[in-house]
Amino acid sequence: MIRVEHLTKVYQRVKRKEGVLGGLRTLFSTEYETTRAVDDISFHIDEGELVGYIGPNGAGKSTSIKMLCGILVPTSGHIEVNGLVPHKERMTNALQIGAVFGQKTQLWWDVPVIESLRLFRDMYKVPEAQFKHNLNLFNELLDLHEFQNTPVRQLSLGQRLRADLAGALLHNPRLLFLDEPMIGVDVVVKERMRTFIKEINHDRRVTILLTTHDMTDIEKVCSRIMIIDHGHIVYDGNIEKMRAQYGTQRTLVVEFEEEVPEFSVPHATLTRTEGKKKWFAFNRFETNPSTLITYVSTQYPILDLAVEEPEIEAIVRTIYQQLPASVEKAER
Amino acid sequence: MKIFWAFARQHFHSTAIYRFDFWMRVSSIFILMYGTRWLWITLYSQRPGAFGVSLGQMVTYTVLSMAITNLFFTGPPYYMAGQVRSGAIDGDLLKPMDFHFHMLARSTGEMIFRIFTITIPGMLAGYFLFDLQLPASVQSGVMFVVAFLLGYLVNFHLEFLLGALSMVTLEIDNIDWAFHATTRFFSGQYVPLWFFPGLLGTLAAILPFRSIFFVPLSIYTGVMRGSAITQAILFQLFWAVILFIVSRWVWERVQLQIISQGG
Repeated sequence: MIRVEHLTKVYQRVKRKEGVLGGLRTLFSTEYETTRAVDDISFHIDEGELVGYIGPNGAGKSTSIKMLCGILVPTSGHIEVNGLVPHKERMTNALQIGAVFGQKTQLWWDVPVIESLRLFRDMYKVPEAQFKHNLNLFNELLDLHEFQNTPVRQLSLGQRLRADLAGALLHNPRLLFLDEPMIGVDVVVKERMRTFIKEINHDRRVTILLTTHDMTDIEKVCSRIMIIDHGHIVYDGNIEKMRAQYGTQRTLVVEFEEEVPEFSVPHATLTRTEGKKKWFAFNRFETNPSTLITYVSTQYPILDLAVEEPEIEAIVRTIYQQLPASVEKAER
Repeated sequence: MKIFWAFARQHFHSTAIYRFDFWMRVSSIFILMYGTRWLWITLYSQRPGAFGVSLGQMVTYTVLSMAITNLFFTGPPYYMAGQVRSGAIDGDLLKPMDFHFHMLARSTGEMIFRIFTITIPGMLAGYFLFDLQLPASVQSGVMFVVAFLLGYLVNFHLEFLLGALSMVTLEIDNIDWAFHATTRFFSGQYVPLWFFPGLLGTLAAILPFRSIFFVPLSIYTGVMRGSAITQAILFQLFWAVILFIVSRWVWERVQLQIISQGG
């Protein structure tokens, strides 16, 4: 469905000078600074996949999505979206993709939601039967009818994002790009949108690329995860594999019958003490919980214990932190 | 064609929100009609016969000019500059529509909306209150519509080119002001071009601007007749085609810059 080979995007911008006079000097400047927003990435996405695309701010997520949409030309490398080269066949590509950019709406600000959707219908030449069928579906799954006659500027954020999602799916696209589609919405709306995204993916076989900063989205929705940083893809695979590869650290939480002094345990480190509770971090390849528990129970009487799995958020944090921070500065 | 109506419909909806702006616009047209009529009546009473056409034709020319003013300046430059500034241009480029055609549909949608809400009421008021005469003949009436549409295309492409320029410079106010001052002057919006002396007259005759107000209004009032009409329409057609080609050429380049620099 999507084939990306050695994709690179370099931005070139006039270098800004500081201060008041600097602003004036910028007018005559011939100095440019270049940023490698996307640096030699390759990946394939098959039809029907639901891929989480994550990375810190400025990692190159939006740049790569824009290239897939055909509204940004790659500096080098090759992209193919369902057999088309997006920036060469932008308008044909537009018919087979849908996109939601959470930061800005694509609906018309002043007119009721339903009117924006009608204009989409005319732009994408959606048959009337399909239009009605899709509206019914959106009413059912997104409660669109509750606010379809309200102008977009009066919608709450959650309603606006739901309306944008409906607009992106009206023409039955084969592919859906969601760039932070749930930014800033409450848990209830979030849950509803997640369910909707999963259903669209499952029932209509729509291939979805989802960008988010919320790891719960990734855990609940995605079957595969790609992590990008400084323009490089640093991880590509499913969540279980990521847990196995990076989530080697676990924690044993022990509650003793009374407060006990600090003591050391082989192959584990004491990370936290709180009243009668103590947290021991250990690597699951070096030791295992039962050995640890046996050892600890010989030291002091135990009241309760638990083993904490690493949270996906913590794993991602580990991956981000392991990345070389020097890549960006090496440019110029 | 459907897409033009679709955009017109959008304007009916958004105007329902900006009602105050709408009524201000309508009332300003009425004031301009009233003012321009009195100006010419006063001038004619001072120097009758000095202006080459009858008072009735003159008043018809200027009152009608006010009634159709809003059909031309539908604002693509502001829209285009704004879209680049806010980054919303991404959304426009995501649509399965050529951007140039998109702008034409948008602008024409607004024009259609204004015909019904501003021009027709304005012309009725002009007829009953401000001495606006009927077209000089049936032929004048029909050719007026043709000339108006060609003038509309010429103006649209000039505005589109201005918009494309503003997408690169990200500035609009000053260029737009200069552009409109030039257009209003050389198109004969307020003062018919037959008053322009010597070099100024030649310049006005060569530049595309006279397609916009002067040609349709001269045809309507019967000042322009017979073969002069054919010539004027060919002149409009020539400029419409040239400006269309230039617009395509410029837009290709501007679009390339936008999509390679990321807006």
